[in-house]
Amino acid sequence: MTPDPAPRRRPWRRRATPYLFLTPFFALFAIFWVYPIAYSFVLSFLNTRQRPWTLDWDFNWGRLIQDEYFWNALGNTMLILVVQVPIMLAFATLLAVAFSSDLLKFKGFFRFAFFAPLVLGAVPYSAVFRLIFNEQYGVLNYALTAIGLPSVSWLYESTPALVTIMIAMTWRWTGYNAVILLSGLQSIPATLYEAAKIDGATGVQRFFLITIPMLRPVLLFTFVLSTIGTLQLFTEPWLITTTGPGNATETLVTYLYQQGFRSFNFGYASAIAYSVAIIAAIFSILQIRLVGGREVER
Amino acid sequence: MHRVALTLLALLTATAVSAQTLTVWVWDINKPALESTVESFQEMHPGVDVVVEDLGNQNVYDRGLAGCAAGGLDMPDVYLVENNEAQVFWAQFPDCFVDLTTLGADELRPMFPDFKWAELTVGDAIHAVPYDSGPTAIFYRRDLYEQAGIDPADIETWNDFIDAGTQMNEAFDGNVKMGAIGKGSDDEWFRMLANQAGCFYFDQAATEITITQPGCVQAMETMKNVWDASTLHPAGWSEQIQFLQNDAQASSFFGSWYSGTLIANMPEEQAGEWGVYLTPALEEGGVRASNLGGSALAIPASSDNPELAYDFITNALADEENQREILFEYGLTPSLLSLQDDPALEQGVEFFGGQAIWEDILGTLGDVPAVAGTQYFQEAREVMIVTVNDYLDGEYASAEAALDAAADQIAASTGLPIAD
Repeated sequence: MTPDPAPRRRPWRRRATPYLFLTPFFALFAIFWVYPIAYSFVLSFLNTRQRPWTLDWDFNWGRLIQDEYFWNALGNTMLILVVQVPIMLAFATLLAVAFSSDLLKFKGFFRFAFFAPLVLGAVPYSAVFRLIFNEQYGVLNYALTAIGLPSVSWLYESTPALVTIMIAMTWRWTGYNAVILLSGLQSIPATLYEAAKIDGATGVQRFFLITIPMLRPVLLFTFVLSTIGTLQLFTEPWLITTTGPGNATETLVTYLYQQGFRSFNFGYASAIAYSVAIIAAIFSILQIRLVGGREVER
Repeated sequence: MHRVALTLLALLTATAVSAQTLTVWVWDINKPALESTVESFQEMHPGVDVVVEDLGNQNVYDRGLAGCAAGGLDMPDVYLVENNEAQVFWAQFPDCFVDLTTLGADELRPMFPDFKWAELTVGDAIHAVPYDSGPTAIFYRRDLYEQAGIDPADIETWNDFIDAGTQMNEAFDGNVKMGAIGKGSDDEWFRMLANQAGCFYFDQAATEITITQPGCVQAMETMKNVWDASTLHPAGWSEQIQFLQNDAQASSFFGSWYSGTLIANMPEEQAGEWGVYLTPALEEGGVRASNLGGSALAIPASSDNPELAYDFITNALADEENQREILFEYGLTPSLLSLQDDPALEQGVEFFGGQAIWEDILGTLGDVPAVAGTQYFQEAREVMIVTVNDYLDGEYASAEAALDAAADQIAASTGLPIAD
C-alpha cells in the first residue's frame, strides 16, 4: 500500500504513451513520405537542367503545358482509364456473381485461379505476354490465323499496342477486383433475394435491382482503386511494349520515370508527379460525389 | 555459443572475401569477353575473385545513374559506360567516378586514339579507359542471299539495298526480310545513317541542336525509303535475334560488336553461313562508314579496391593478347592503336565463312565522321525514337517537318538553341 509517488504526472504520461508507441511510424513517415513529397514540390519550381539548380517558377510548369509528349502520355492514360477500367469492373462483377453462385462446383479452385495472376511476379508475366503477343511466333496470332482472322502487329503498331496493354491489365487485375466484390456480395442479406423471388422477380431483375445497388459502395471502392492504379500505370507499358512503338503506350508515370531517371531532370519529373497527384485527387472526389453521393443521403 | 562463434566466423570470412572481390557491371557479349581476361588478371593478383554481371545495356545506365545520384551507393568496382552516354555522368556527377590519372592513366593516353578520349576526359581528368568502337557494317546470310540471287558485291548504295530487298521479298514471298529496324524502340538506324552523312543531334561543342541539318534529313529520307519498300521487320533487340535464328531475316545493320552477338546466339548450323559487307553509301561514291556505340570502363569512386580495379581494366583493355582474343572470340572491335595494323587481322573468321572481316571493318574506322557525345544524349534519343517511329508511320509530310518537330521537343527538354 505505498502511496503514489507522483500522482499528478500520471495523466500526462498516460496521454503521451500512445504517441510514443506511434513515434517510430511517424518518424519513418516523416522521412520517407512527408519529406520527399514536400521536397518534390519545391523541386518542381527549380530548373534542374544543369547544376547548380536555380529557382525558376514556370520553367517546368510552363513546359508541361506545352509539352506534346506530356499530353500524349495523359491521353493514353485517360484512354486506358475510360476503356479498360469499366470493362474490367464489369467482368469482375460477373465473375464475383459466378463465384458465389450455388451452381459453381470447386469454388475454392476457381477463386484461386482468377486471383493467381496477381501472385505472379510482374517481370515473368510481362515476358510471357511479350511472347504471346509476338507478331510472327506468338500463340495469339497463331490462333487468330488458324480461325481465318488476319494476324496483328501487336507490339509494333500504336493501337494494337495500347490494346495489348489493356488486355494484359485486365488479365492481371480482374480476379483481384472480383474477390473484393465477392466480399461485398456476401454481405448482402439473403432475405432480400428471397423476398424478391416471392414477389416474382427474375434473375436479371434481381441482379440489377438488388445486387448492383447493394454493391455500390464496394464497386465505388474498386473503381477508385482502379482509377488510382491506372493513373500510376508503369509495369505493363514499361516491360511489355517498352512504352512504344514510339510513345504510343507512354503513360504519365513512364514519362515521369524517363524524365527523372533517364534524362535526370528531377524538376520536370516532380512537376509531372504533382500533376498526376492532382488528377488523381480530382478523379477521386468526382467519383465519390457522382457514385457515392447517395450513400450520404441515406 | 557454438552457433554465435560460427556465425561470427562466417561474417568475418564473408567480409574478408568481399574485400578481395571485384564486381563488374556490363551488358550482353561483354560478359564473356571480359571474363576471358580474368585468368591473366588472377596471375597478377592471385586470390582476387572477379564477378562480371550482365545487367543489360539500359539497366547498367539506369542503375549507374541511380547509384551516382545516391552518392555512390550500390555501385560495382568496374563500370561499363557507353561512349555517347559517358558525358551525362561526368557532367551530372563529376565525383562519382575515380579520376584515373591518380592511378597512373596518363601513360595510357598515347595507346588509344584521340577521338575515343574526347568523351572520356574532362580537362586533365580521365574518367574511363576506351574499350571497343562500333564501326558499322551489314552482316548477312550467304545462303539466303544466294537463294534470292543477290550478290552483296553489287550493293554499293542504299538504293541497291532496297532493290536487293525487293528481290528478297519476291524470292521468299515476304517471309524472309532483308533486315530489321528497332522501330519505336530505338533510333539506331537514324544515328548510323546520320553519322554516315556527318550529322548528329548536336554540334561538336554540344551548344546547338543540329538535327535539322541536311545530313540528318538525308538520313531520315533514306531510312524511310528502305522501310517503305517493306524490306525490314519492325523488331526490337530480342525479336531480331529470334528472326535471325529462324531464318526469317537475311541481314543486320549494326556496329561491329554485333558480330559477337551473332556468334553467341545463332544456331550451330548457321556457322560459316554469315558474311559481312560495308555499309551502303547514301549516294553513288559516298562514304561507306559510320559508327554506332562503343564503350569504356570506369571505376566508381565508391569502390573499395580502385587499384585492383585499375589493374583489371588495364589488363583487359591495354593488353594486346587479351584485346586480340576479345576481338576474335567475341567480335568486339579494339580501340587499342597497336592492334589496328596487327597482322592477325588478315586472318579469316570461321563463323563468317573464312572472310577476314576485321580487316574489312577496321579499314573503315578512318572514314568514320567523329561525333562527340553530350550530356543530353538520352533526351535527344528519347525524342528521336518517337519521331522516327511516327515518321515511318507516315505521320509527317516530310523528313524536314519531322525533324523540325523533333528539334522543338529537344530544345524544350535541353534548353539548347536550334542551329540555323
